[in-house]
Amino acid sequence: MSDVLVELHNVGVAFNTQRRLAQGRFWALEDVSLTLRRGERLGVIGRNGAGKSTLLRVIAGILAPDRGTVRRGKVSCQLLALALGFTTHLSGRDNAILSGLMLGLRRRDIEARLPAIREFSELGDFFEQPIATYSSGMNMRLAFSVAMQVEPDVLLIDEVLSVGDAEFQRKSGTALRQRMGEGHTVVLVSHDESQIAALCDRVVWIEHGKSVLEGARDDVFAAYHGDMRANGAAA
Amino acid sequence: MFKRLIELILFSTYAELRAERARSYLGLLWWVLDPALMMLTYWLVFDVFLHSGGPNYIPFLLIGLTLWQWMKSCMTHGGYAIWSNLVLIRQVRLPPLMFPVVAMLSDTVKFFCIFALLLVILWSMGYPPNITYIALPPLFVVVLLFGAGIGFVIAAVVPLLPDLRFVIEQVLTAVMFLSGVIFALPPLPSPWNLLTELNPVNVIMDASRAILMHGQWPNWIALGKVTLVSIVVCAIGSFVVAKLAPRYPKLAD
Repeated sequence: MSDVLVELHNVGVAFNTQRRLAQGRFWALEDVSLTLRRGERLGVIGRNGAGKSTLLRVIAGILAPDRGTVRRGKVSCQLLALALGFTTHLSGRDNAILSGLMLGLRRRDIEARLPAIREFSELGDFFEQPIATYSSGMNMRLAFSVAMQVEPDVLLIDEVLSVGDAEFQRKSGTALRQRMGEGHTVVLVSHDESQIAALCDRVVWIEHGKSVLEGARDDVFAAYHGDMRANGAAA
Repeated sequence: MFKRLIELILFSTYAELRAERARSYLGLLWWVLDPALMMLTYWLVFDVFLHSGGPNYIPFLLIGLTLWQWMKSCMTHGGYAIWSNLVLIRQVRLPPLMFPVVAMLSDTVKFFCIFALLLVILWSMGYPPNITYIALPPLFVVVLLFGAGIGFVIAAVVPLLPDLRFVIEQVLTAVMFLSGVIFALPPLPSPWNLLTELNPVNVIMDASRAILMHGQWPNWIALGKVTLVSIVVCAIGSFVVAKLAPRYPKLAD
């Protein structure tokens, strides 16, 4: 099928537990399979430590699988990483360019978007100042504004739906939801089930590094909640 | 993709130089002050206190240290670049070789600033520009290739074995003393003479002093051999980085 963008078959990823000569291995992902099609908004649910973030990094192509296969069409998959490559002694403008280049934009594209970034981040004249002078809130505003300019074929989001103070949280959340609603292909990892329920049409459920179920949102949620209740009753 | 990578490398180099300038009060001045202080130390120890310098010692030392510092920073700064960027490597898909390349480019820019100052000092000391300056650009290419080759190999393995850094510093200090950087080596008995004859750093030192102090053409055959070896080492280093690339995003820094 031509509209399959990314396909994972029985993927496993192992990490070394310690930097010692005799190393143990830890399988963060053991056996995950999923299919991502164009225009799909796929949510990833699972408990803490289930391997959700590792899975995103596999889809992004940052981590190569130690077993199983990843098939990716000719598409760019980009993790929505905030403050990527930010350097404290550089100005907001220079950091925006650097971060944009790292996130996959060409120089001319990021230059053209600088006014939008400056506007959205509400930094005003601080945009030309070193980010060492920024508050953490200003830093996050700049980081988010830059990340929002990136337009990969597949956008991978790990828990960063909203940043900054209450008002900017609303604004950034709205902007991101708008992006997700524009027909982009998105994979979203979140603890917040309500967010996934609101934003995704399909869901994959990961447990102990294994994909338990992949399918329509409501079916997967029903099974997930049933399992949680069963586990709760057993405990 | 390739064009974006070039843009990223160039802008990262600019960012690194710019950030370095902003980190201290005297900023750019340190690019020159730092090596100047080091040269002052060696001059005091070897010429003033030990009287082992001999005639023409100051230009000899200045040329040696200027070139050596450039090579060494390509090997260490470039060599530690993947390791020191692991945080980034875990978050975004970038070719790891770009990090040593950025480090080496920024060190090369700094080298040219220092070298310009070196030329002014040499001219004022009575070593005027001469026709053999034409040989400087190819010499620089050889130095960069050699530094980059060793730097790539170090960059490949340091993320996996950070302990190597302690050994590398010591080895490079030993290489500096064995390569005629600070003082001319006396003829060594066999088999130690191989250390000077087969030593690429020694060849580079001889070539740069021949040009800058004596107006003589460098030994092209020796430089050619260094070039060949450097290209091979560069290829090996890039290959090992490419081989190990899947492991870097899994490493803690």
